Amino acid sequence: MSRVALRGIRSHLGRFLLSILAVLLGVAFVAGTFSLREMMADTFDSIVEAGTDADVYVEGAELAGGGTPMGGQQARFPLETAETIAAADGVAAAVPGVQGAIVLVGADGTAVLNNGAPSFGLGLHPDERALWVADGRAPSGPDEVALESAALERAGLAVGDTTKVVLAGEVRTVEVVGELGFAAPMAGAIMVGLDWDTALAAYAPDGLTTGVAVYAEDGVSERALADAVETALADGPAAADVRVLTGDEMRAEMAEQWQSALGFVSTFLLVFAGIALFVGTFIIGNTFSMVVRQRQREFAMLRAVGASPTQVFASVLAQAGVVGVLGSLLGVGAGVGLVELLRGVFAGMGMELAGDVPIDTFTVAVSVLVGTVVSLVAALVPARRAALTAPVEAMRDEVATHDRASRVRTGVGAVLLAGGLLAVVVATTGVVTENRGALLGAGAAAILVGVLALAPAIVPPVLGGLAAPVVAGVRPLGALARGNVTRHPKRTATTAGALMVGMALVGAASVLAASAQASVRDVVDNQARTDLILQSATWDVPAALVEDLPQVDGVAEVHALRIAQATRVDGEDLALIGVPEGFFTEVLEVPVDAGDATDLAPGQAVAQASDAEERGWAVGDELTVEGIGGTTRVRLAAVIDSGVLGLPLVVEESDFDAVAGPGASVIDSVFVKAAPGADLADVRAGLAELAEPYVVVSIMDAEEYGDAVAAQVNQVLVILYALLALSIVIAVLGIVNTLAMSIAERTREIGLLRAVGLGRLQMASIVTIESVLTAVFGTVLGIGVGAGLAATMTRVFADEGLNRLAVPWAGLGVLLGLAVVVGVVAALWPAARAARMNVLEAIAYE
Amino acid sequence: MRPVTVYPRGEGAIASARGLVKVYGSGETAVRALDGVDVDFANGELTAIMGPSGSGKSTLMHCMAGLDTVTSGTVVVDGEDVARLGQRGLTRLRRERLGFVFQAFNLIPTLTAEENITLPLDIARRPVDRDWFDTVVDAVGLRDRLDHRPGELSGGQQQRVACARALVSRPAVVFADEPTGNLDSRSSSEVLGFLRHSVDVLGQAVVMVTHDPTAASYAHRVLFLADGRLVGEIVDPTPESVLDALREIGAGRRAPEPALAGAAPALVGGVAGGLR
Repeated sequence: MSRVALRGIRSHLGRFLLSILAVLLGVAFVAGTFSLREMMADTFDSIVEAGTDADVYVEGAELAGGGTPMGGQQARFPLETAETIAAADGVAAAVPGVQGAIVLVGADGTAVLNNGAPSFGLGLHPDERALWVADGRAPSGPDEVALESAALERAGLAVGDTTKVVLAGEVRTVEVVGELGFAAPMAGAIMVGLDWDTALAAYAPDGLTTGVAVYAEDGVSERALADAVETALADGPAAADVRVLTGDEMRAEMAEQWQSALGFVSTFLLVFAGIALFVGTFIIGNTFSMVVRQRQREFAMLRAVGASPTQVFASVLAQAGVVGVLGSLLGVGAGVGLVELLRGVFAGMGMELAGDVPIDTFTVAVSVLVGTVVSLVAALVPARRAALTAPVEAMRDEVATHDRASRVRTGVGAVLLAGGLLAVVVATTGVVTENRGALLGAGAAAILVGVLALAPAIVPPVLGGLAAPVVAGVRPLGALARGNVTRHPKRTATTAGALMVGMALVGAASVLAASAQASVRDVVDNQARTDLILQSATWDVPAALVEDLPQVDGVAEVHALRIAQATRVDGEDLALIGVPEGFFTEVLEVPVDAGDATDLAPGQAVAQASDAEERGWAVGDELTVEGIGGTTRVRLAAVIDSGVLGLPLVVEESDFDAVAGPGASVIDSVFVKAAPGADLADVRAGLAELAEPYVVVSIMDAEEYGDAVAAQVNQVLVILYALLALSIVIAVLGIVNTLAMSIAERTREIGLLRAVGLGRLQMASIVTIESVLTAVFGTVLGIGVGAGLAATMTRVFADEGLNRLAVPWAGLGVLLGLAVVVGVVAALWPAARAARMNVLEAIAYE
Repeated sequence: MRPVTVYPRGEGAIASARGLVKVYGSGETAVRALDGVDVDFANGELTAIMGPSGSGKSTLMHCMAGLDTVTSGTVVVDGEDVARLGQRGLTRLRRERLGFVFQAFNLIPTLTAEENITLPLDIARRPVDRDWFDTVVDAVGLRDRLDHRPGELSGGQQQRVACARALVSRPAVVFADEPTGNLDSRSSSEVLGFLRHSVDVLGQAVVMVTHDPTAASYAHRVLFLADGRLVGEIVDPTPESVLDALREIGAGRRAPEPALAGAAPALVGGVAGGLR
């Protein structure tokens, strides 16, 4: 029997080709994700290796918010501690870390911004070992910097050039006096070496550091050194604020942080790989049902000569296995190619990644396993049908076709759909208050699966309706095409289902994005009382600029909105917003649920309604807020419902300063109000003149601010679309697959049509209409489900700032147009095939 | 059986072929399916083509109908030189001037009987002549089956629908390839009776390939092919005369010795004379 299965595959490789391709694409994504993750982990590991070369690290105790590898989010301790450490036994050198954000202006006069990779300035200690001067010399004095090689290249600068940096909120003109070497690729990060005293003044004005790197004398082990350092520090005042780690422990800790960050990214990517594979099962399932249908008599014959149903079942599954393994192996190769390609793209964007594209046994094993299992699962139902073939079918002339919506499937689909709808209604009408999001999610999943299950039953009526204009308009081709897509409802439903999944997600994403944008605009339009808003591309408006703003002619008020990440509220890690006292009266008029937000005095706080509800905060409650700078208690003055402040708790500026600590907060936005009667254009020009040297600051009015937020949403949307494109491509392959196989099945019919006078172009048109009908059917269902569900989300997530429903009709229309294009493209090859069929051979085809 | 009547310029013929040669393959494996056939099909006549398997009878019909290309020779159908037509021209010829009935799989399963019948007109975007349509439908006796799909019709009914489809566009010639090959005898006689009726009453020219002597006996004239050549014809055949002629061809093929071959014309003439 296995011989039968293998011969079957070999002689009909063509019809499995697209199934293999579907597995290939899905698996390529899976393998690529793993491989990319490995490569990035390798890169970051090598950065950690190179940047963390000391034997012992003395670190500030872990504070709220968790540490990130590049920035200090830990408790800070006096720099002098380094001297205590240096005096310990076996210490060769103790180098305190002094680093922070910096903006480097490149040769072209714009800020060197590297796609979200950090830019940081680093104080070059005389004993620094992780970096070395590769060219020129080390900087000396506040007017000199040295750049790491990649940063130098990225900025387009050379040693000897003069440029600007924005350091500690000030613009400075500096000379590049040297090039720094680092033992690993920087993955896009921009590193600027600063003179030690300059760095101290900029990053440690309070004389505090986040960590000290300790190097051992020859022959002293890391452990022994750590013990010695610990002993030396035990009596000192900073003992409680520090942790002593060996180099290995430190490296492990940093690697772990990278891993968890990368884990998040790869999980995100794997979700899309999963969607692609799920869509792929539709193709494989369809292929095998068609193959089984074609081979019904062969199976009957095998059964007649004594093959058991199990053997027939196994022979079909064996073919699925071959398809899976073959597709997976090719997919792994394609995945590696994909990552190699990505590496090139990243390198082009200035993000060098380390090493070769890694391909380990785990990746191969998991990829092949996933691809094969997906393929096997997809072939289960057709294999069962093959196994159940009665031997008597071999004697029948015409193969019985039972391709009709099964009652069980329709029933299950209806139940799921009804249940899903109920869940959505319950979640949206607020019958329950707990876990509404989860309920909505479950309902959405049930609806999607339910519609997929119901699809064969709705193919005849819905497609009949969709086809009506074509049937009337293009006689008799439209009617012929409609007949072809409705005669196998299950097949058409599966083919369209693959597209439906992708389109549902795209439709949902577009409605959510439009709603989010509309919500933001709504908030900006209705709540913002400000004339101009300043923001920075580095997410931190330079403090020096903010100080100078009131001097601009026509500026009446300046309100800075600051954010501190490393803070804790009542023991929970929560980022904090700090605003000046008059913020809620002058700048932002927020809807108040309870209490009074108009006068945010020191010692008071304002909470976002949804967060307050979640944590049980009520007006009058006292909250403990702690941060790097210290701890304070605030009383909740009001609960507000504003979509514009994305964080739970807002405190007054003086409390914020006390808690956040210097250097541990950013100025997110600055709101400027013009004096009455001042010409806004003049004010804006004045601000622009002042901000221009800082390079990264943009000035927007309320509408532009809304645009900027909308643009951010769009960026996310583009990434989502790109990732969903894969599943749509696979769905298109599915349409090609179904069309090609249906055409092969209909060979004699095509011969007949051509014999009675159907032209080639007309033949091709029929196939194209079929294709477009299928694609539009899938898209209409998908958009209906996706956009419909997304529309309900505004009711559930109104508290989270998603309070306006906007349906992007034009965008959805474009999707429908896209479906037509998809249909036409998918039909190209099958249509050409159908048109080129030899009439006589087609008629005589068995 | 008498020698095949061929008019010098095909006078009165709706379709004719001269020096028709069809070779499949090339080199050593080449097969001469048709080996210099001259034939005329008269207007208003039901002509049957018979011959043993491999004699080239289907090939002859396919070449006449522009479904297959010819290696050499000319084919003229309704004044059109078929061999010189391109794909587009052939498609138009089939659409406008020819009707087809095949052995099996004649109907599009997704269309109703009526839609199948009017299919050639729909494809050509020609209006349906309702009177003619009614005439044809009544002739095949399918008035009450017009809304049915092929799957709901019996084999005989399906072939009658196919015949109606072949006639509805008033083609110059209807080519029928083993139209009763898959039918029981009752259905066969219905279909054949109708084909003859279409010739006698509706004035249609019909060319039918068959291997069934009974089917052939419905024709006005039966042509016999052997080894790619026309070897004779019978006018106003009966099943018996057709059988005899076939036996004769079989004998001739088994013993193609020069002496016998030389005697054959006399023999053929004798049989044909006996039938008269």
